[in-house]
Amino acid sequence: MSIQEYNGGSVVAMVGKDCVAIACDLRLGNQATGIAMNFEKVFPVNDTLYYGLPGLATDVYTLREQLRFRVNMYRMKEEREITPETFTHLLSSTLYEKRFGPYFLEPVIAGIAPPTAANPNPQPYVSTLDSIGCITTPKDFAVAGTATDKLYGAAEGLWEPDLEPEDLFETISQTLLNAVDRDALSGWGAIVHVITKDKVITRTLRSRMD
Amino acid sequence: MECSFGITGKDYVLLASDMSAGRSILQFKSDENKIKELGPHLAMAYGGEPGDTNNFADYIERNMRLYHIRHHHALLPHAASSWIRRSLADSIRSRRPYSVNLLLAGFDTTDDTPHLYWIDYLGTKAVVPYAAHGMGMHVSLSTMDKYWHPNQDRRDGVDVLKKAIAEAQHRLSIKFTFNAIIIDKDGIHTVDLAAEDPIGKIEAEKAAKAEAEAAAAAAAAAPPAAAPEASAPVAAAA
Amino acid sequence: MDTLVAQLAPSRRGDEGSSSTAEWANNGYGNLDASGAVAGMDVPGVPDPLAFLSMHTDSMSTNPQAKIKLAHGTTTLAFRFKGGIIVAVDSRATAGSYIASGTVKKVIEINPYLLGTMAGGAADCQYWETYLGMQCRLHELRNKERISVAAASKILSNLVYQYKGMGLSMGTMICGWDKTGPALFYVDSDGQRLKGDLFSVGSGSTFAYGVLDQGYKWDLSDEEAQELGRRSIVAAGHRDAYSGNTVNLFHVRENGWEFIKNYDLSELWYEYEEKKKADLAAASAAAAGGVPIDVE
Repeated sequence: MSIQEYNGGSVVAMVGKDCVAIACDLRLGNQATGIAMNFEKVFPVNDTLYYGLPGLATDVYTLREQLRFRVNMYRMKEEREITPETFTHLLSSTLYEKRFGPYFLEPVIAGIAPPTAANPNPQPYVSTLDSIGCITTPKDFAVAGTATDKLYGAAEGLWEPDLEPEDLFETISQTLLNAVDRDALSGWGAIVHVITKDKVITRTLRSRMD
Repeated sequence: MECSFGITGKDYVLLASDMSAGRSILQFKSDENKIKELGPHLAMAYGGEPGDTNNFADYIERNMRLYHIRHHHALLPHAASSWIRRSLADSIRSRRPYSVNLLLAGFDTTDDTPHLYWIDYLGTKAVVPYAAHGMGMHVSLSTMDKYWHPNQDRRDGVDVLKKAIAEAQHRLSIKFTFNAIIIDKDGIHTVDLAAEDPIGKIEAEKAAKAEAEAAAAAAAAAPPAAAPEASAPVAAAA
Repeated sequence: MDTLVAQLAPSRRGDEGSSSTAEWANNGYGNLDASGAVAGMDVPGVPDPLAFLSMHTDSMSTNPQAKIKLAHGTTTLAFRFKGGIIVAVDSRATAGSYIASGTVKKVIEINPYLLGTMAGGAADCQYWETYLGMQCRLHELRNKERISVAAASKILSNLVYQYKGMGLSMGTMICGWDKTGPALFYVDSDGQRLKGDLFSVGSGSTFAYGVLDQGYKWDLSDEEAQELGRRSIVAAGHRDAYSGNTVNLFHVRENGWEFIKNYDLSELWYEYEEKKKADLAAASAAAAGGVPIDVE
């Protein structure tokens, strides 16, 4: 078992029509033994930007604390909210700082930037990074964690372009639930965030508990 | 080979640990206390690599004390858990990491809530209602799953703990002895697991202590009260 | 060991080897000879077949880099009580962290009076317990009476002991009712064979024991015993990543075994949690004299 699979857990993010969704399971394990069923892996940066950190749980805490510090510093210096694109690069360089002793995480980012004069009509944005900060920005969905293979299978089959928020919620929920039901190290509850321009809908899902 | 348990309830948290200490197949001691008090309402049960455990526990204990002295109040359980977790997370990527697992239990006196944290040597932290470390994780977690319920009172909590310990003693080939503490709004109390009614014993001790304190307070208040009495005969004489 | 390998690998024995293989095929079925005994097993045609096998297969997550992942990860339990024997198992098969199946039958119905459980290598258990069924039938025909559970389990244990060190992986419980009443034996691929009242085998067994031990007594009623078996598997399926999906429950009585039911493990878990909440609400309502009141 690799160190990235030590605690288990998965994250998925999807693009919709003027909305994005990001979801994760709630299991924290100690290899095969489940320890906690309240371990969220998706965190808010601001009202329109969330990120997920599946991987080694100790690094989830450490990187989250580091990012909270850096985003707050950015917010104070710039006197504005960070955009999804900028946050992705901030995260990327934060990860690369640990090039020779990486965080064992595969972050996923989902958000919509607030409209500005320069960018009056921002598009929904999803990106993923590898453990040392290589950025990928898919047009459709991003998956990570111990259920990666299964999430790809489910997402490839269920996702379609221009889903409305409610349909996107259904799609991402079904994708996550069906994928983690085939993964021994993910599951034990799930939580979904659907981010639109003016609100975030957060729902916890009833999932298999075995 | 070690074993520790933590159980929260309505207004308390229980912590128990085995008392063995040794090296390889030898057991040197069977009465080593592996629960450390970190403050008036905070304690941890620790285990792991011999040597690392003692050193790390002392380090945490002294720093908690230092914070208490500097700021005139102790770290709350949540803040303490963050600091301890961070210490281990930094340690795991250092040249010689601490190999220590611990259960951190505390009582938050600001909102009267019990707290329990499962923390391992990597710096993994789980916020849980009940937990086990060591071999207890494998044999007794399911026992606690079945018998634990939210908001249970102290006696029910001790019953669950006794079941978990009984299971560990029954199924594990090493014979453990356990010690336990309970933390509530009044602080940390040792739980005598061998007693008929451990909670009753603690309550009796608390009552006795309160009585002694009241008596001491009365005695302290007595001299000024006694003074007029002493002067009374004088007044009478006058 | 080499002599044993040589005996069991007829195709590598030389010229006469191939003809003897053909002989078995004519006289019996597959590698079974005319008397019904296993006559030989093919082994990889390399200088050290055992090393080759252990390098490329992973049967108990002990060798995770191996590409051939044999199905494993299990919780099975069986216990004797006054009403017979309860046998309860989960139904999950995993290959690495992938849940390969959630509908595995881990109780092997050897004959109407004998059950075998399956933990470890799925194929090993299935093959050898089916084979045991055949031997039990032969015993019945030869001796005009049913084989005892002790004898049946000994056949299995002697068999797998012959292959000790060759990578067989099985931990099984042979359960049945014979002249002596309900009988339960644990047999594993090390050759260990134990008579007992209560066993649990597999990656989730420690969790199952955690519930089983605390609730077990000889004088359980049938319903209580079935519930205990079910509850123990749910406990294990919940905590152990490699156990879960469904519970299969069997009850062995004097007139043979009975399949009770297949339950969805996760649904049962939610039921137990709901019951816990309901009990708590009832208890606090009772404590408050039937009327819920605000405390403090």
